[in-house]
Amino acid sequence: MSVTASIRRASLVRQGALLAVLVAIYAFLLVPVAVVILTSFTGQTFPAIPYDGISVQWYAELFADNQLLGALMTSFVVATSASLLSVAFGTAAAVGFVRAEFPYKQQLSTIMLLPMIISPVITGIALIRYFGMVNVSSGYPALIIGHSILTVPYVFLLVRSQLVTFDEDLEQASRVLGADSTVTFMNVTAPIISPALLAGFFISFVVSFGEFTATQFLISPGSSTVPVEIYTMLRTGLTPTINALSTVLVVIMVVAALLSRYFER
Amino acid sequence: MSFVVERSPVPGWLTERISNRHLVAVGIGWVTLFFVFPILFLVVESLNFGDGSLFEAYRRAMGGVYVDAFVRSFIYGFVTTVLTLVFAYALAYYLVFVSDRVRLLLTLVVVPLWVAYIIRYFGLLLFFSPTGPLGELGLEIDLLFTSTAVVLGLANAYLPFAVLPIYNSLNAIHHETINASRVLGAGQFRTIREVVLPLSTPGIVAAGVIVFILATGSFLGPAVLGGPNQAMIANEIARTFLEAYNIQLASALAVIYTVLLVAFITAFNAVFNLQEALGNL
Repeated sequence: MSVTASIRRASLVRQGALLAVLVAIYAFLLVPVAVVILTSFTGQTFPAIPYDGISVQWYAELFADNQLLGALMTSFVVATSASLLSVAFGTAAAVGFVRAEFPYKQQLSTIMLLPMIISPVITGIALIRYFGMVNVSSGYPALIIGHSILTVPYVFLLVRSQLVTFDEDLEQASRVLGADSTVTFMNVTAPIISPALLAGFFISFVVSFGEFTATQFLISPGSSTVPVEIYTMLRTGLTPTINALSTVLVVIMVVAALLSRYFER
Repeated sequence: MSFVVERSPVPGWLTERISNRHLVAVGIGWVTLFFVFPILFLVVESLNFGDGSLFEAYRRAMGGVYVDAFVRSFIYGFVTTVLTLVFAYALAYYLVFVSDRVRLLLTLVVVPLWVAYIIRYFGLLLFFSPTGPLGELGLEIDLLFTSTAVVLGLANAYLPFAVLPIYNSLNAIHHETINASRVLGAGQFRTIREVVLPLSTPGIVAAGVIVFILATGSFLGPAVLGGPNQAMIANEIARTFLEAYNIQLASALAVIYTVLLVAFITAFNAVFNLQEALGNL
């Protein structure tokens, strides 16, 4: 056997080993979600892999449960409203920070990212105590404002990175041709950054839809969200209805995220 | 998308007054009103302005259970970070230098990020449980409600956050640099150790900081996969607030934890720009 052949074989072995490690890491990443989805189709009364045929009885159970459907509705309303607020405030901040020059700019922009860094447990407690003081009631108002705070950093980062590559000459041209700043914004700036706004909206939607830790402090009776319902069901006993609800949540989140990626490019 | 606005819907005297600085003020104002103020009020609530000592709650926060929870949070955070960096580096290295299906594989890394934490922890709970797939195969694993389960859960949750910055920094390395190292006689491992690794340090640091911040502050990981002996600081804060109704103590714990974390971030920020790292996500 030649020397090159043995080197080639050693390199093949190494590549094989790397590939095995890779497969293991991907399995580690993806198996938990796959297990949740698979076991939602069980015919048993507890979450189990359905080896002997698929059953959708737990989905029937889910769609007959008014409390769970109500939670889905709440999550939907909260995520939509919070994302709209985040897009408005996140975009305003991003445009301002990219265009304006002022002292301590870098330090000030860190404030926009703080909600990402502080543990959501602390955010949740701080918000519900503060809302009590300034008379914002728990439930929808608290959830919508709270989720908009948790999601605004994502919109800020997305829109800011889009604006950095923005050709400002286009705006100058519009101004020179006689348009005022609002007309310029509507005709020039908005169409160019709208993909980033849509991407920001859907990313906010995904983050809000899945948020649990801060949310648990902000809900009121009758305004429970899907993650809160899942958590409660995990504590009270495993029935495959949790899996059906989780699977519905996964589908909604993945669709929203795919839309976000579609608009991002 | 094409739409043409010929006349401004906003009166001229107003448009001329909205400057970019006002836009900054609007964004910062929103976050200040509903985030910075609430956090500052939490600091006020942690202090005892009634009778007795001002730092009463802080004295109680030095009690055994809470110190244990702090130590546990930082240890779990550290172990999770190390584990995640190793996995993420192997994955990112493969994506940048070996694979020719980068888009697909990168999407598969990002997909879990779109799925709520609670569902991924629930999946691991099912996976580790005696009725799960491993149990069906007759494997007896007693992982559930142990430290190992919590750390594996945290690593699972935050791995994508580590892959992205490392992938970006590896991707930015010019292939000529690597070729030069090989031409000059360095083997594959020496090239990795002396060329690739040093050039990807910014990505590793960013990934490490992000994972460490997220992991130490996790509530759901230990709540779903751990038992009473795996409670981390977020769990103790929540329990003190929701079950013991001790707002002062919960606030004091939150303040101590945040100060420790901010000190840590500031130290790293001196070496590496964290904003850039977060922007890479």
